Order: sequence, then C-alpha cells, then structure tokens
Amino acid sequence: MISVLLPAALRVSDSHRIEVHEAVHSVAELVDAIDRRIPGFRDQLDDSVFNFAVNDEMLLYQARERALQDGDVVEVIPTISGG
Amino acid sequence: MTIRDRVTTLVAELPKEPQYPTQGATVFVDLQRREIARGYTPIRVVKTLLAGRGANMYYLHRLLDESLHPLHPDVPLIFGSGVLTGIVPSAARGNATSWSPESGVIMDSNAGDHFPSFIRMNGIDHIVLFGEAAGWTLLRVKAGGIEFLDATPYVGLDNIDLRDRIPHDFGGTWARDLAMVNVTRAGENQVLTSAIMAGPKACYARGGPGAKMGSLKVKAILVQGQTRDFETAQPYKGYNRTIAQKLLETSVVKHALKTVGTPFLYRPSRMLGAMGTKNNQETTWTDKLDSDNITPYRPGMAGCFRCPVNCRPLNELNQDPQDKYGRGDGPEYVTLGKFGPNVGIDRIESVIRLNNICNDLGLDTASTGSTIAWAMELYQRGLLTQKETGGLDLAWGNADVVEQLLFGMSRREGFGNALADGTRAVEKGHFPNEALRYRMAVKGLMQSDPHDARILKAFALGLAVATRGMDHLRNRVTLEINARINDDPAFKERLYGAPVSAAPNSYAQKEVAVRACENIYAVGDSVGMCRFTTKLFNSPSLPGLEEFSAQIQNVSGLTFSVDELNNVGHNIMGVERMINHRLGVRRADDTLPERWFDEPIQVGSYKGEKIDRGEFDAMLTRFYEVSNLTPEGVPVDGWRQQLQQVLG
Repeated sequence: MISVLLPAALRVSDSHRIEVHEAVHSVAELVDAIDRRIPGFRDQLDDSVFNFAVNDEMLLYQARERALQDGDVVEVIPTISGG
Repeated sequence: MTIRDRVTTLVAELPKEPQYPTQGATVFVDLQRREIARGYTPIRVVKTLLAGRGANMYYLHRLLDESLHPLHPDVPLIFGSGVLTGIVPSAARGNATSWSPESGVIMDSNAGDHFPSFIRMNGIDHIVLFGEAAGWTLLRVKAGGIEFLDATPYVGLDNIDLRDRIPHDFGGTWARDLAMVNVTRAGENQVLTSAIMAGPKACYARGGPGAKMGSLKVKAILVQGQTRDFETAQPYKGYNRTIAQKLLETSVVKHALKTVGTPFLYRPSRMLGAMGTKNNQETTWTDKLDSDNITPYRPGMAGCFRCPVNCRPLNELNQDPQDKYGRGDGPEYVTLGKFGPNVGIDRIESVIRLNNICNDLGLDTASTGSTIAWAMELYQRGLLTQKETGGLDLAWGNADVVEQLLFGMSRREGFGNALADGTRAVEKGHFPNEALRYRMAVKGLMQSDPHDARILKAFALGLAVATRGMDHLRNRVTLEINARINDDPAFKERLYGAPVSAAPNSYAQKEVAVRACENIYAVGDSVGMCRFTTKLFNSPSLPGLEEFSAQIQNVSGLTFSVDELNNVGHNIMGVERMINHRLGVRRADDTLPERWFDEPIQVGSYKGEKIDRGEFDAMLTRFYEVSNLTPEGVPVDGWRQQLQQVLG
C-alpha cells in the first residue's frame, strides 16, 4: 500500500489522504492509478506549483520516474518558489 | 565638486516637460537650504533604463562622489517609482537607491504598499534627497508640491506610534488619501540594518536605507491627496483586466500567495535540507513552523495599492489591546526563516511576536536576524562571551534575549550597539577578526532569505553576483525547485532562452538562467511590478516582458519590443556594476560565504553537497561571458561606452 497525502489546494477528494493498494512502481504509475479512481487528478497535478515528496524526500527533478515500494508515503506539496 | 554643483549641472541638462504621457517629475530636494529643483528623466535614459530602479541608477551614477562615505549628506538618497507604478494591477512598487552604509556597495531596495503609487499621483516619479537638514524634517507632498515641516514632535516615535499619530495631525486615511515613508528610532540612530518603513510592514529594507534617511535628518515623507486615474497615451484598462485575470488564474497565486502568502515555502525548504539553521551550521528545522501552524493566527490578508493578489498575511496573537505586539502584518517566509531556524527558535508565537517588533522598530528582518544569528554562533564558539554581551545569554532559541537585542539595536544600547553595525561589526571593532569566517554575507550584505544554497547551484550563483550583495530578489532562478519544469527540458529552454541543466545541483548552464532572471527582474523593478507576480519568480505563467511591453505602450506611448526590454534589464545590471566598480567591487567580490565552499550539507537526499570552488569559478566565468562582462565583472568596452554616453 502507498499512502498519498494531498494539500488542501488540491481538492480532488473529501479526504486529504488516499491509500493506493494496487501495485505501482513509480510516481507516474501512482498518479495514473489515482487518476483512474478520480478522473482529472492527473490534469490537476500538471501544474508547476505541485511537487512530490517521497518519505519526506523532496523530488526536484525526475520526479515521475522515482521508484516506489510498498509502505512509501507520497506527499503532494504546493511549492511557492520564492519569498 | 559639491553635490549642489552636480545637481545644478544635471538639472540644467534635464527636460523641463514630461517626455511621455504619465511621466512624473524628478524632484531634487536640498534639505540643508530647503530648496527644490525639478526636471524630467531624458527619453534616452528611459529607453535605456526605464524609470524606477533603472532611472534611479542614472541619478546615482551622476550624483555619486565615491570619495565621500555612504552616510555623508552629499551622497543622495533617491526614491523612484516605475513606469507602470500605480496604474497596472500589482505594479505598486518603487525603489530607494544610494550608496549602502551597511554593505559599502550600491543600496537599492524595493517596496510597495502605497507610497510609490501616491507620489506618482502627485506627478512625481523620483525624489532625490541630499544635504543634511538643520533639524529633523518631515516632507509633505501635496498637490504636486513639497513642503518642509518641522518633524521634532515625531522624533523618537517608532512605526506603530508614528502611523497612529499622523492621521490625527494631518487628517486623512491611510491607503485612501495618505501614504508615507518614514524612519523609526533605528533610522534616527543610524542602525545599519534599519529600514525605511513604507507601511505597517512594507519597507525599503536592504542595505541600511533607514540609516541613510536618518543621516539626512528626514523623519518622513508624507503624501496626501485623493487617488486618481492617469491620462495615458491610449486606453489601458482593458489590458489591465487581462493582466489581473492572468494574475488571479495563476496557480501559485490561487493556491499559495492569496491564501497563505510566502510562509508556504518553509516546508519544502526544510524538507529539502536547505533551510538555513543556526547561522547555516545546519540545514533543517522543526515542522512546528510550517505555514499550517500560522493559520490559527492569521485573521486575513492585506495588499498593496490596487493589487488583486493581497499576499500579505496579517497576524493576531491575542486580543489584548495593551499588547502592542499582539498583532501585525506578516511574517513573510524570510522573517520566518531568520527568526525561526536561523536563531534556533521553534515556537511560531515567538517568531510572529519578533516579526511584529521588527516592523515597529523599523528593522530589516533579513540583516537583523542574520546579524543576531552570527553573534549567536560566535557565542557558541566562545568568540563572544557574556563579558561582551553585557551578561546576555546568546544561546540558540533564547527568544527573550533576541527580543531584548532588537530593542538594544534600535536604540544602540549595550551589546545592541555592536549588532547595530551589522556586517561591519568586525570593522568597527565589536567582534574579533575570526568572526568574519562565520559571517553569512556577500559584498557586505547578509543573505536576504533563509534558503541554504549549497544544493541549488543557480541559487548560489545568483547570490554571488547580485549587485546589491547577497540577495535572492535580484536574480533568483526560483523555478529550479519545481520538478514539473525541470522535467520538461524543452519548456525550460523556452523559459530561459537556452538549455539549462535539469539537475538542481548541477553547475551546467545555470548562468543562462541567472542572466534571464536578472534581466526580467530589473525590468520589473523599473516598471514597478511586484517580484512575487513577475514571470519566472513564482511561476512561468505570470505577467512578463510581453505584458510589460504592451502596457508600457498603452500607458506611455513608448514602444519597446520584448528583446529591447530584455536589453533594458541587462543595461540596468551593467550600470549597477559600473557604479559598484567605482566603489571598489571586483571579481573576487562575486563569491559566497566560506562555509558553503568548505562544509557539506549533513542531512537529506543531498547530504554531502557543497560548492566546489573550481566549478563555481568556471560558472562565474560563463556568467560573465553570457552577461557581456569583462573578467573583472564590468561591461565590456563597447557596451560600457554606449552606457556612458547615455548616462552623460
């Protein structure tokens, strides 16, 4: 199982936490799996404001290719770039 | 040649009438003699540098006598608003420019709120102050005129009390028909980290503007008068709606700036292991300062003149009217970082309170927080003891002592007097020479933001080459932190005009991105656009050169192609480097704090990352090449001569 934490800004579900039980091996596959459950999810994520973190590790590039394994926690983080 | 001679010569050269619709006058204010002279920025200068920051550099170049010192009354303090300031949504900004008493290089600081727009509505684009007033002075701008008033009743007032008092004495309502810039006691006392306040929080912060204005004995410039529309070259409001729509539809505005503001950035920075902590000895800190924890204390958001974004978070810690610091504006991400991890504080309530105190005392939270963090590390290392601190325990996280230090700094009392000299504490004899090894500064200016740039090499290069010193707001390639952009090489190439490596920790091609950002941000400052809403800073979809070009034409009738505007940004950097060269800045000054070369990051997926000296030097060389600079970092001969011809 992979746990996905969503920010309030990404209003795709009543819950801020989604659990994905099907086998996924990368962030890209994870997004596809959620998009099948919540149509439009992939499009909403196609936005430079959203970054991924896996087990608290921020992914700054090659994000979609990042390998996942059972038990990982993936977080979608809105990232304002500067301030 | 005295400043009066220089001003007289310059004014004689300036046109006496506006050169384009909406152009305001440049007003030269001789504080000593209480005399005013006027002119208009010549069109050749506008075509080369625009207004705001750009034209400010023209005036500084012409009026600066580098044989003096920054706080000498013959060194002018110049305010300037942009070509679009007060007219276009989110263009509410202006710059204050001089020779920095804090850093020793150019001082050029940008602020919004209402003052930059209100002077334009009085027909003024630039105000040049010089000469020391005989006594504390308040300048009142009304109906286009400037009056010299006695400021004695206001001396000793900090920001909150002064802003309470002024409407009682002069009438009017802030933001409706009243705007002001002012110094606090910190400015009166020439504290080198003091700001010129432009609102409850907004301020011209970097480089010691408060000290400079205080040295001239100007307590405040008050602007009165109803807001009005401008007579433009052609209709502009339709395109304003397009710009506003673009702003409000941009994801980062909807999802972050409008709702939470810049503290959003704290979480990704600390998760990355790039959050400057304990004077950058460490690079991550507690989740207790994540922006979610500010939400309970945020009653709403505020904004600048005619800005639809409203990105300034307000705060309310309590409802006790007796607690002066129980509410206020902010904190922004910079303040959160500087008064959180950088000084070892982990209570959000303490950070908010210290933010409110800084806003009242008129202190630049970046330089002030960094100076305190520097002193704390020296205390940790035994280079400072309670003998020097007057018995204060400078242990990390001691919020009560930090609060005492803020008041001590603003009044130059006790150990606060040492900290009031900021980066110059060694030069002034307060700290031992060894302290310089731990000073997180470039070109004499403490780092503006809390982001530790050992990982993102484009950030590091930007901090090294920024003309006003170690500051992210001049050229930061902020989108390097966005995976969506890094993973689309074709899109990234279109953004910066040439390929840029996708890897944030690579040195490859980062000079291209810094060059592009430096250009567009300089143009943004010269039209008056907010950095947060300028393309490339927070998003690739915000208004940029294309929108500026269209609206400059509507407003002023002046035509600039996108390429020409890009060249204007480049020219501004060139003139700033020419001025800095006169002030002794060379290639060796385009560098980074020693710590980032020597000490690797200890946490996170980029553990072990630091700045490689050889790679950095090669990147700097490439930056000079793409910037048309000599190996010493000044414009190459042909370009320098062209600029010199424009400057006169």
